[in-house]
Amino acid sequence: MRDSIQCQGLAEAIEQEGLSPLPESAREHLARCADCQDLLADFNSISKAARELPAEVEPPARVWISLRAQLVSEGLIKKEGPAPEPARRARWWGGLAGLLQGRALATAAVGLLIFVAGAMQLERTSAPPNRELPGVSGSGGKAQAEEPDALTDSGTALSNQEHELRAVQPAGTLPTSSPVDDDLQKDLQTLNAFIADCQRHLKSNPHDQLAREYLAGALQQKAELLAEMMDRGRSVN
Amino acid sequence: MNLRLVGRSVLPVLGAGIFLWPAAHAQAVPQHFEKHFAVKGKPVVVIQNIANGRIEVKSWRNPEVVLTGTQASDKISIESEQAGDRIGVSSNLVDASAQPTEMEADFQLTVPEETELQLKTQTGLILVEQVMGDMTLESVAGDVHLKEVSGYIIVTTKSGSLVCTQCAGKLNFNSISGGAQLLQPALSNVNLFTTSGNILFDGDFVRTGLYTMKSGKGLVEVRFSTSDSFDLNAQTSTGTVDNQAADFLKPDSHGLKHMASKYTKSFFGTIGQGLAKVELSSYSGTIRILKRD
Repeated sequence: MRDSIQCQGLAEAIEQEGLSPLPESAREHLARCADCQDLLADFNSISKAARELPAEVEPPARVWISLRAQLVSEGLIKKEGPAPEPARRARWWGGLAGLLQGRALATAAVGLLIFVAGAMQLERTSAPPNRELPGVSGSGGKAQAEEPDALTDSGTALSNQEHELRAVQPAGTLPTSSPVDDDLQKDLQTLNAFIADCQRHLKSNPHDQLAREYLAGALQQKAELLAEMMDRGRSVN
Repeated sequence: MNLRLVGRSVLPVLGAGIFLWPAAHAQAVPQHFEKHFAVKGKPVVVIQNIANGRIEVKSWRNPEVVLTGTQASDKISIESEQAGDRIGVSSNLVDASAQPTEMEADFQLTVPEETELQLKTQTGLILVEQVMGDMTLESVAGDVHLKEVSGYIIVTTKSGSLVCTQCAGKLNFNSISGGAQLLQPALSNVNLFTTSGNILFDGDFVRTGLYTMKSGKGLVEVRFSTSDSFDLNAQTSTGTVDNQAADFLKPDSHGLKHMASKYTKSFFGTIGQGLAKVELSSYSGTIRILKRD
Protein backbone atom coordinates (compact mmCIF):
# COMPACT_ATOMS: atom_id res chain seq x y z
CA MET A 1 0.00 0.00 0.00
CA ARG A 2 1.26 3.44 -0.90
CA ASP A 3 2.26 5.61 2.00
CA SER A 4 2.73 9.06 0.51
CA ILE A 5 4.79 10.40 3.41
CA GLN A 6 7.22 7.50 3.30
CA CYS A 7 7.31 7.65 -0.49
CA GLN A 8 8.20 11.32 -0.24
CA GLY A 9 10.91 10.43 2.26
CA LEU A 10 12.38 7.89 -0.12
CA ALA A 11 12.38 10.39 -2.99
CA GLU A 12 14.18 12.91 -0.79
CA ALA A 13 16.68 10.27 0.28
CA ILE A 14 17.42 9.46 -3.37
CA GLU A 15 17.73 13.13 -4.23
CA GLN A 16 20.16 13.76 -1.40
CA GLU A 17 22.10 10.51 -1.24
CA GLY A 18 21.98 9.14 -4.71
CA LEU A 19 20.81 5.69 -5.67
CA SER A 20 22.88 3.70 -3.25
CA PRO A 21 23.31 2.91 -0.52
CA LEU A 22 19.89 3.93 0.75
CA PRO A 23 19.28 4.45 4.47
CA GLU A 24 17.83 1.51 6.39
CA SER A 25 14.40 3.14 6.80
CA ALA A 26 14.20 3.84 3.08
CA ARG A 27 15.17 0.27 2.24
CA GLU A 28 12.47 -1.07 4.55
CA HIS A 29 9.87 1.11 2.89
CA LEU A 30 11.15 0.14 -0.54
CA ALA A 31 10.76 -3.56 0.23
CA ARG A 32 7.01 -3.22 0.64
CA CYS A 33 6.17 -0.36 -1.79
CA ALA A 34 5.72 -1.36 -5.42
CA ASP A 35 5.48 2.28 -6.57
CA CYS A 36 8.84 3.14 -5.09
CA GLN A 37 10.37 -0.03 -6.50
CA ASP A 38 9.22 1.13 -9.93
CA LEU A 39 10.63 4.60 -9.27
CA LEU A 40 13.99 3.19 -8.22
CA ALA A 41 14.05 0.89 -11.24
CA ASP A 42 13.43 3.91 -13.48
CA PHE A 43 16.25 5.85 -11.84
CA ASN A 44 18.58 2.88 -12.23
CA SER A 45 17.69 2.54 -15.91
CA ILE A 46 18.29 6.24 -16.55
CA SER A 47 21.55 6.14 -14.65
CA LYS A 48 22.71 3.03 -16.52
CA ALA A 49 21.80 4.50 -19.90
CA ALA A 50 23.52 7.76 -19.06
CA ARG A 51 26.73 5.97 -18.04
CA GLU A 52 26.78 4.26 -21.42
CA LEU A 53 26.80 7.60 -23.24
CA PRO A 54 30.23 8.27 -24.66
CA ALA A 55 32.27 10.95 -22.97
CA GLU A 56 32.21 13.93 -25.28
CA VAL A 57 32.94 17.60 -25.31
CA GLU A 58 31.47 19.22 -22.25
CA PRO A 59 28.74 21.72 -23.02
CA PRO A 60 29.83 25.25 -22.31
CA ALA A 61 29.00 26.54 -18.86
CA ARG A 62 27.08 29.42 -20.36
CA VAL A 63 24.57 26.97 -21.86
CA TRP A 64 23.81 25.72 -18.37
CA ILE A 65 23.72 29.24 -17.00
CA SER A 66 21.51 30.53 -19.78
CA LEU A 67 19.20 27.53 -19.53
CA ARG A 68 18.92 27.85 -15.79
CA ALA A 69 18.32 31.61 -15.96
CA GLN A 70 15.59 31.04 -18.49
CA LEU A 71 13.90 28.38 -16.38
CA VAL A 72 14.09 30.61 -13.32
CA SER A 73 12.62 33.55 -15.23
CA GLU A 74 9.80 31.30 -16.40
CA GLY A 75 9.13 30.20 -12.86
CA LEU A 76 9.69 26.58 -13.84
CA ILE A 77 12.38 26.26 -11.19
CA LYS A 78 13.06 28.36 -8.15
CA LYS A 79 16.19 30.28 -7.47
CA GLU A 80 18.29 28.12 -5.19
CA GLY A 81 18.48 29.52 -1.70
CA PRO A 82 20.97 28.58 0.94
CA ALA A 83 20.69 24.83 0.93
CA PRO A 84 20.88 23.07 4.26
CA GLU A 85 23.32 20.52 2.90
CA PRO A 86 24.85 22.02 -0.20
CA ALA A 87 27.69 19.57 -0.51
CA ARG A 88 25.44 16.54 -0.49
CA ARG A 89 23.00 18.02 -3.00
CA ALA A 90 25.80 19.09 -5.26
CA ARG A 91 27.19 15.58 -5.21
CA TRP A 92 24.00 13.95 -6.49
CA TRP A 93 22.99 16.52 -9.10
CA GLY A 94 26.57 17.21 -10.04
CA GLY A 95 26.98 13.51 -10.65
CA LEU A 96 23.90 13.42 -12.86
CA ALA A 97 25.09 16.43 -14.83
CA GLY A 98 28.42 14.71 -15.23
CA LEU A 99 26.76 11.60 -16.56
CA LEU A 100 24.75 13.52 -19.08
CA GLN A 101 27.44 15.85 -20.32
CA GLY A 102 28.12 15.88 -24.00
CA ARG A 103 26.94 17.09 -27.34
CA ALA A 104 23.53 15.52 -26.99
CA LEU A 105 22.89 17.49 -23.85
CA ALA A 106 24.22 20.70 -25.33
CA THR A 107 21.87 20.29 -28.25
CA ALA A 108 19.03 19.36 -25.95
CA ALA A 109 19.74 22.42 -23.84
CA VAL A 110 19.55 24.70 -26.85
CA GLY A 111 16.46 22.86 -28.00
CA LEU A 112 14.91 23.44 -24.60
CA LEU A 113 15.75 27.13 -24.81
CA ILE A 114 13.98 27.33 -28.14
CA PHE A 115 11.06 25.42 -26.63
CA VAL A 116 10.89 27.91 -23.79
CA ALA A 117 11.07 30.69 -26.36
CA GLY A 118 8.15 29.09 -28.18
CA ALA A 119 6.18 28.92 -24.94
CA MET A 120 6.87 32.60 -24.30
CA GLN A 121 5.81 33.35 -27.84
CA LEU A 122 2.50 31.55 -27.32
CA GLU A 123 1.99 33.43 -24.11
CA ARG A 124 2.55 36.69 -25.94
CA THR A 125 0.20 35.69 -28.70
CA SER A 126 -2.61 35.02 -26.25
CA ALA A 127 -2.09 38.34 -24.54
CA PRO A 128 -3.56 41.56 -25.97
CA PRO A 129 -1.17 42.95 -28.54
CA ASN A 130 -0.93 46.38 -26.99
CA ARG A 131 -0.68 45.37 -23.37
CA GLU A 132 1.60 47.28 -21.09
CA LEU A 133 3.75 45.59 -18.55
CA PRO A 134 3.07 46.58 -14.96
CA GLY A 135 5.25 49.47 -14.06
CA VAL A 136 6.25 50.13 -17.65
CA SER A 137 4.79 53.09 -19.41
CA GLY A 138 4.62 53.62 -23.13
CA SER A 139 3.44 51.52 -26.03
CA GLY A 140 3.04 47.77 -26.02
CA GLY A 141 5.83 47.52 -28.57
CA LYS A 142 8.17 49.30 -26.26
CA ALA A 143 7.10 47.07 -23.40
CA GLN A 144 7.81 43.95 -25.38
CA ALA A 145 11.13 45.31 -26.53
CA GLU A 146 12.10 45.66 -22.90
CA GLU A 147 11.12 42.11 -22.00
CA PRO A 148 13.87 39.51 -21.84
CA ASP A 149 13.66 37.76 -25.20
CA ALA A 150 14.14 34.00 -25.07
CA LEU A 151 14.77 33.84 -28.81
CA THR A 152 17.64 36.29 -28.41
CA ASP A 153 19.05 34.14 -25.61
CA SER A 154 18.78 31.07 -27.81
CA GLY A 155 20.58 32.84 -30.63
CA THR A 156 23.33 33.97 -28.28
CA ALA A 157 23.74 30.48 -26.84
CA LEU A 158 24.01 29.02 -30.34
CA SER A 159 26.56 31.62 -31.42
CA ASN A 160 28.64 30.74 -28.41
CA GLN A 161 28.26 27.07 -29.22
CA GLU A 162 29.41 27.78 -32.77
CA HIS A 163 32.49 29.65 -31.55
CA GLU A 164 33.40 26.85 -29.20
CA LEU A 165 32.96 24.32 -31.97
CA ARG A 166 35.37 26.30 -34.08
CA ALA A 167 37.78 26.34 -31.18
CA VAL A 168 37.88 22.53 -31.02
CA GLN A 169 37.94 22.43 -34.83
CA PRO A 170 35.61 19.58 -35.70
CA ALA A 171 35.09 18.66 -39.32
CA GLY A 172 32.79 21.09 -40.94
CA THR A 173 34.16 24.07 -39.09
CA LEU A 174 37.62 23.47 -40.50
CA PRO A 175 38.69 24.94 -43.79
CA THR A 176 37.70 22.74 -46.72
CA SER A 177 37.93 19.06 -45.81
CA SER A 178 35.25 17.41 -47.93
CA PRO A 179 32.34 18.42 -50.16
CA VAL A 180 29.88 17.57 -47.39
CA ASP A 181 31.74 19.78 -44.95
CA ASP A 182 31.67 22.57 -47.51
CA ASP A 183 27.91 22.16 -47.78
CA LEU A 184 27.55 22.28 -44.02
CA GLN A 185 29.60 25.46 -43.93
CA LYS A 186 27.38 27.06 -46.58
CA ASP A 187 24.28 26.03 -44.67
CA LEU A 188 25.69 27.56 -41.51
CA GLN A 189 26.31 30.82 -43.37
CA THR A 190 22.81 30.69 -44.82
CA LEU A 191 21.28 30.22 -41.40
CA ASN A 192 23.42 32.90 -39.77
CA ALA A 193 22.45 35.41 -42.44
CA PHE A 194 18.78 34.49 -42.15
CA ILE A 195 18.82 34.63 -38.35
CA ALA A 196 20.50 38.04 -38.45
CA ASP A 197 17.91 39.27 -40.96
CA CYS A 198 15.01 38.08 -38.77
CA GLN A 199 16.57 39.59 -35.66
CA ARG A 200 17.03 42.96 -37.38
CA HIS A 201 13.43 42.86 -38.57
CA LEU A 202 12.13 41.95 -35.13
CA LYS A 203 13.93 44.85 -33.53
CA SER A 204 11.74 47.24 -35.47
CA ASN A 205 8.69 44.93 -35.65
CA PRO A 206 8.67 42.99 -32.38
CA HIS A 207 5.05 41.88 -32.84
CA ASP A 208 5.61 40.20 -36.20
CA GLN A 209 4.51 36.72 -35.18
CA LEU A 210 5.45 35.19 -38.54
CA ALA A 211 9.01 36.50 -38.31
CA ARG A 212 9.29 35.08 -34.80
CA GLU A 213 8.17 31.67 -36.05
CA TYR A 214 10.79 31.72 -38.80
CA LEU A 215 13.47 32.82 -36.37
CA ALA A 216 12.58 29.99 -34.00
CA GLY A 217 12.66 27.50 -36.88
CA ALA A 218 16.05 28.73 -38.06
CA LEU A 219 17.49 28.58 -34.54
CA GLN A 220 16.28 25.01 -34.20
CA GLN A 221 17.90 24.15 -37.52
CA LYS A 222 21.14 25.77 -36.42
CA ALA A 223 21.19 23.68 -33.25
CA GLU A 224 20.75 20.54 -35.34
CA LEU A 225 23.37 21.66 -37.85
CA LEU A 226 25.96 22.26 -35.14
CA ALA A 227 25.17 18.83 -33.72
CA GLU A 228 25.70 17.30 -37.17
CA MET A 229 29.02 19.08 -37.53
CA MET A 230 30.06 17.78 -34.14
CA ASP A 231 29.05 14.25 -35.13
CA ARG A 232 31.02 14.43 -38.34
CA GLY A 233 34.01 15.83 -36.51
CA ARG A 234 33.94 12.89 -34.14
CA SER A 235 33.53 10.25 -36.83
CA VAL A 236 36.07 11.77 -39.20
CA ASN A 237 38.67 12.79 -36.66
CA MET B 1 71.59 -22.17 -64.30
CA ASN B 2 73.35 -22.09 -60.98
CA LEU B 3 71.72 -20.95 -57.79
CA ARG B 4 73.73 -17.76 -57.58
CA LEU B 5 72.48 -16.68 -61.01
CA VAL B 6 68.90 -17.46 -60.05
CA GLY B 7 69.36 -15.44 -56.91
CA ARG B 8 70.68 -12.45 -58.83
CA SER B 9 67.76 -12.37 -61.26
CA VAL B 10 64.86 -13.34 -59.04
CA LEU B 11 65.64 -11.74 -55.71
CA PRO B 12 65.51 -8.11 -56.89
CA VAL B 13 62.14 -8.70 -58.45
CA LEU B 14 60.91 -10.50 -55.36
CA GLY B 15 62.29 -7.76 -53.13
CA ALA B 16 60.61 -5.05 -55.15
CA GLY B 17 57.38 -7.03 -55.05
CA ILE B 18 57.53 -7.32 -51.28
CA PHE B 19 58.37 -3.63 -51.00
CA LEU B 20 55.50 -2.53 -53.26
CA TRP B 21 52.88 -5.00 -51.96
CA PRO B 22 51.55 -2.90 -49.06
CA ALA B 23 51.21 0.16 -51.31
CA ALA B 24 49.33 -1.79 -53.95
CA HIS B 25 47.13 -3.40 -51.30
CA ALA B 26 46.25 -0.04 -49.73
CA GLN B 27 44.98 1.41 -52.99
CA ALA B 28 41.24 2.05 -53.12
CA VAL B 29 39.75 -0.97 -54.85
CA PRO B 30 35.96 -0.97 -55.08
CA GLN B 31 34.50 -4.02 -53.44
CA HIS B 32 31.12 -5.48 -54.24
CA PHE B 33 28.90 -6.98 -51.56
CA GLU B 34 25.60 -8.83 -51.64
CA LYS B 35 23.46 -10.17 -48.80
CA HIS B 36 20.06 -11.85 -48.64
CA PHE B 37 17.65 -11.70 -45.70
CA ALA B 38 14.50 -13.82 -45.61
CA VAL B 39 11.59 -12.06 -43.90
CA LYS B 40 8.08 -13.08 -42.89
CA GLY B 41 6.01 -9.96 -42.34
CA LYS B 42 6.62 -6.28 -43.00
CA PRO B 43 10.33 -5.76 -42.57
CA VAL B 44 12.00 -2.75 -41.02
CA VAL B 45 15.23 -1.83 -42.75
CA VAL B 46 17.68 0.59 -41.17
CA ILE B 47 20.73 1.86 -43.03
CA GLN B 48 23.20 4.12 -41.28
CA ASN B 49 25.71 5.23 -43.85
CA ILE B 50 28.43 7.34 -42.32
CA ALA B 51 30.10 7.22 -45.69
CA ASN B 52 29.15 9.11 -48.80
CA GLY B 53 27.11 7.37 -51.42
CA ARG B 54 23.68 6.71 -52.80
CA ILE B 55 20.95 4.48 -51.46
CA GLU B 56 18.44 3.03 -53.89
CA VAL B 57 15.40 1.13 -52.69
CA LYS B 58 13.03 -0.72 -54.98
CA SER B 59 10.36 -3.25 -54.21
CA TRP B 60 9.37 -6.70 -55.34
CA ARG B 61 6.82 -9.29 -54.31
CA ASN B 62 9.23 -11.73 -52.71
CA PRO B 63 9.48 -12.08 -48.92
CA GLU B 64 13.15 -11.29 -49.02
CA VAL B 65 15.37 -8.25 -48.62
CA VAL B 66 18.38 -8.16 -50.87
CA LEU B 67 21.20 -5.79 -50.18
CA THR B 68 23.85 -5.19 -52.80
CA GLY B 69 26.37 -2.46 -53.18
CA THR B 70 29.92 -1.36 -53.46
CA GLN B 71 32.37 0.18 -51.08
CA ALA B 72 35.20 2.30 -52.40
CA SER B 73 37.91 0.90 -50.17
CA ASP B 74 38.58 -1.29 -47.19
CA LYS B 75 38.97 1.81 -45.04
CA ILE B 76 35.30 1.51 -44.32
CA SER B 77 33.46 -1.65 -43.37
CA ILE B 78 29.89 -2.64 -44.13
CA GLU B 79 28.15 -4.53 -41.36
CA SER B 80 24.68 -5.96 -41.23
CA GLU B 81 22.46 -7.78 -38.79
CA GLN B 82 19.05 -9.39 -38.84
CA ALA B 83 16.72 -9.88 -35.89
CA GLY B 84 13.46 -11.30 -37.14
CA ASP B 85 12.08 -8.84 -39.64
CA ARG B 86 14.41 -6.07 -38.57
CA ILE B 87 17.47 -5.61 -40.70
CA GLY B 88 20.21 -3.19 -39.85
CA VAL B 89 23.04 -2.13 -42.11
CA SER B 90 25.80 0.27 -41.22
CA SER B 91 29.01 1.53 -42.68
CA ASN B 92 31.82 2.19 -40.27
CA LEU B 93 35.11 3.96 -40.56
CA VAL B 94 37.98 1.51 -40.12
CA ASP B 95 40.87 3.78 -40.96
CA ALA B 96 40.67 7.35 -39.73
CA SER B 97 43.12 8.45 -42.42
CA ALA B 98 40.61 7.62 -45.16
CA GLN B 99 40.15 10.29 -47.80
CA PRO B 100 36.63 11.32 -48.86
CA THR B 101 36.91 9.28 -52.06
CA GLU B 102 37.78 6.21 -50.00
CA MET B 103 34.73 6.70 -47.80
CA GLU B 104 32.11 5.99 -50.40
CA ALA B 105 29.55 3.22 -50.20
CA ASP B 106 26.57 2.76 -52.48
CA PHE B 107 23.63 0.58 -51.46
CA GLN B 108 20.90 -1.02 -53.52
CA LEU B 109 18.04 -2.54 -51.59
CA THR B 110 15.26 -4.69 -52.92
CA VAL B 111 12.50 -5.04 -50.37
CA PRO B 112 8.94 -6.36 -50.12
CA GLU B 113 6.37 -3.74 -51.15
CA GLU B 114 5.31 -3.19 -47.55
CA THR B 115 8.50 -2.22 -45.78
CA GLU B 116 9.41 0.37 -43.19
CA LEU B 117 12.59 2.29 -43.94
CA GLN B 118 15.04 4.33 -41.91
CA LEU B 119 17.85 5.53 -44.11
CA LYS B 120 20.67 7.95 -43.44
CA THR B 121 23.49 8.98 -45.72
CA GLN B 122 25.86 11.91 -45.94
CA THR B 123 25.74 12.79 -49.59
CA GLY B 124 24.50 10.99 -52.65
CA LEU B 125 20.97 10.38 -53.78
CA ILE B 126 18.39 8.53 -51.73
CA LEU B 127 15.97 6.99 -54.20
CA VAL B 128 12.88 5.05 -53.10
CA GLU B 129 10.35 3.64 -55.53
CA GLN B 130 7.09 1.79 -55.02
CA VAL B 131 7.43 1.12 -51.32
CA MET B 132 4.49 1.27 -48.93
CA GLY B 133 5.42 1.91 -45.33
CA ASP B 134 6.56 4.59 -42.96
CA MET B 135 9.95 5.98 -43.82
CA THR B 136 12.46 8.29 -42.21
CA LEU B 137 15.04 9.49 -44.68
CA GLU B 138 17.94 11.67 -43.66
CA SER B 139 20.64 13.13 -45.83
CA VAL B 140 23.16 15.84 -45.23
CA ALA B 141 23.83 17.01 -48.74
CA GLY B 142 22.23 14.41 -50.98
CA ASP B 143 18.90 14.75 -52.75
CA VAL B 144 15.93 12.53 -51.98
CA HIS B 145 13.77 11.23 -54.80
CA LEU B 146 10.58 9.37 -53.98
CA LYS B 147 8.30 7.83 -56.54
CA GLU B 148 5.01 6.07 -55.87
CA VAL B 149 5.60 5.67 -52.18
CA SER B 150 3.04 5.87 -49.41
CA GLY B 151 3.06 6.04 -45.64
CA TYR B 152 4.19 8.52 -43.06
CA ILE B 153 7.24 10.00 -44.76
CA ILE B 154 9.77 12.10 -42.88
CA VAL B 155 12.57 13.66 -44.89
CA THR B 156 15.32 15.70 -43.29
CA THR B 157 18.21 17.24 -45.17
CA LYS B 158 20.64 20.06 -44.69
CA SER B 159 21.10 21.05 -48.32
CA GLY B 160 19.58 18.17 -50.24
CA SER B 161 16.33 18.64 -52.13
CA LEU B 162 13.25 16.47 -52.24
CA VAL B 163 11.36 15.41 -55.33
CA CYS B 164 8.25 13.45 -54.45
CA THR B 165 6.31 12.08 -57.39
CA GLN B 166 2.94 10.41 -56.88
CA CYS B 167 3.43 10.10 -53.16
CA ALA B 168 0.57 9.29 -50.80
CA GLY B 169 0.05 9.48 -47.06
CA LYS B 170 1.70 12.08 -44.85
CA LEU B 171 4.86 14.01 -45.57
CA ASN B 172 7.08 16.00 -43.26
CA PHE B 173 10.07 17.76 -44.83
CA ASN B 174 12.66 19.95 -43.12
CA SER B 175 15.72 21.42 -44.77
CA ILE B 176 18.03 24.40 -44.52
CA SER B 177 18.73 25.09 -48.17
CA GLY B 178 17.08 22.19 -49.92
CA GLY B 179 13.87 22.62 -51.87
CA ALA B 180 10.83 20.39 -52.19
CA GLN B 181 8.81 19.49 -55.26
CA LEU B 182 5.60 17.55 -54.81
CA LEU B 183 4.36 16.35 -58.17
CA GLN B 184 0.97 14.68 -58.63
CA PRO B 185 0.70 14.00 -54.93
CA ALA B 186 -2.05 12.14 -53.11
CA LEU B 187 -0.89 13.33 -49.73
CA SER B 188 -3.43 14.11 -47.05
CA ASN B 189 -1.06 15.82 -44.66
CA VAL B 190 1.92 17.90 -45.75
CA ASN B 191 4.30 19.90 -43.62
CA LEU B 192 7.23 21.49 -45.44
CA PHE B 193 9.80 23.84 -43.96
CA THR B 194 12.92 25.13 -45.65
CA THR B 195 14.94 28.18 -44.78
CA SER B 196 16.19 29.10 -48.23
CA GLY B 197 14.95 26.44 -50.64
CA ASN B 198 11.99 26.67 -53.02
CA ILE B 199 8.75 24.76 -52.68
CA LEU B 200 6.53 23.57 -55.51
CA PHE B 201 3.20 21.82 -55.03
CA ASP B 202 1.76 20.72 -58.33
CA GLY B 203 -1.27 18.51 -57.93
CA ASP B 204 -4.57 17.93 -56.20
CA PHE B 205 -5.42 18.68 -52.61
CA VAL B 206 -7.05 15.75 -50.87
CA ARG B 207 -10.35 16.72 -49.30
CA THR B 208 -9.97 17.23 -45.54
CA GLY B 209 -6.23 17.37 -46.08
CA LEU B 210 -3.96 19.75 -44.17
CA TYR B 211 -1.09 21.41 -46.00
CA THR B 212 1.51 23.72 -44.52
CA MET B 213 4.33 24.95 -46.73
CA LYS B 214 6.90 27.43 -45.45
CA SER B 215 10.06 28.84 -46.95
CA GLY B 216 12.15 31.48 -45.23
CA LYS B 217 13.65 33.08 -48.31
CA GLY B 218 12.55 30.91 -51.21
CA LEU B 219 9.61 30.70 -53.57
CA VAL B 220 6.49 28.87 -52.48
CA GLU B 221 4.47 27.97 -55.55
CA VAL B 222 1.15 26.15 -55.61
CA ARG B 223 -0.55 25.02 -58.79
CA PHE B 224 -4.12 23.93 -58.24
CA SER B 225 -6.98 22.83 -60.43
CA THR B 226 -10.48 24.33 -60.41
CA SER B 227 -11.89 21.03 -59.20
CA ASP B 228 -9.91 21.35 -55.98
CA SER B 229 -11.59 22.32 -52.72
CA PHE B 230 -9.55 24.17 -50.13
CA ASP B 231 -9.24 27.21 -47.90
CA LEU B 232 -6.08 29.18 -48.58
CA ASN B 233 -4.10 31.32 -46.18
CA ALA B 234 -0.95 32.92 -47.59
CA GLN B 235 1.22 35.35 -45.68
CA THR B 236 4.67 36.84 -45.79
CA SER B 237 6.57 39.25 -43.57
CA THR B 238 8.76 41.08 -46.06
CA GLY B 239 8.20 39.08 -49.26
CA THR B 240 5.43 39.22 -51.84
CA VAL B 241 2.24 37.33 -52.60
CA ASP B 242 1.82 36.75 -56.33
CA ASN B 243 -1.77 35.63 -56.73
CA GLN B 244 -2.35 34.70 -60.35
CA ALA B 245 -5.61 32.94 -59.58
CA ALA B 246 -7.64 35.74 -58.05
CA ASP B 247 -10.54 35.03 -60.40
CA PHE B 248 -10.98 31.55 -58.97
CA LEU B 249 -10.67 32.40 -55.31
CA LYS B 250 -13.63 33.63 -53.34
CA PRO B 251 -13.80 34.92 -49.76
CA ASP B 252 -13.67 32.33 -47.02
CA SER B 253 -17.26 31.26 -46.31
CA HIS B 254 -16.68 29.12 -43.22
CA GLY B 255 -17.45 31.76 -40.66
CA LEU B 256 -13.85 32.02 -39.59
CA LYS B 257 -12.97 35.67 -39.74
CA HIS B 258 -9.39 36.07 -40.84
CA MET B 259 -7.62 39.02 -39.33
CA ALA B 260 -4.71 40.10 -41.45
CA SER B 261 -1.77 41.04 -39.30
CA LYS B 262 -0.55 44.57 -39.88
CA TYR B 263 2.98 43.18 -39.92
CA THR B 264 2.45 40.78 -42.78
CA LYS B 265 1.08 40.74 -46.29
CA SER B 266 -1.71 38.22 -46.20
CA PHE B 267 -4.20 36.65 -48.53
CA PHE B 268 -7.22 34.49 -47.69
CA GLY B 269 -9.52 32.74 -50.08
CA THR B 270 -11.52 29.63 -50.84
CA ILE B 271 -11.64 27.33 -53.81
CA GLY B 272 -14.75 25.18 -54.12
CA GLN B 273 -16.17 24.24 -50.76
CA GLY B 274 -12.92 24.76 -48.95
CA LEU B 275 -12.65 21.21 -47.68
CA ALA B 276 -8.88 21.09 -47.37
CA LYS B 277 -6.77 23.64 -45.52
CA VAL B 278 -3.72 25.14 -47.19
CA GLU B 279 -1.33 27.45 -45.35
CA LEU B 280 1.50 29.04 -47.28
CA SER B 281 4.05 31.39 -45.84
CA SER B 282 7.41 32.90 -46.50
CA TYR B 283 9.44 35.31 -44.44
CA SER B 284 11.03 37.22 -47.32
CA GLY B 285 10.38 35.11 -50.41
CA THR B 286 7.54 35.00 -52.90
CA ILE B 287 4.30 33.06 -52.61
CA ARG B 288 2.83 32.27 -56.01
CA ILE B 289 -0.62 30.81 -56.53
CA LEU B 290 -1.40 29.48 -59.99
CA LYS B 291 -4.16 27.54 -61.67
CA ARG B 292 -2.99 24.58 -63.69
CA ASP B 293 -3.97 24.44 -67.33
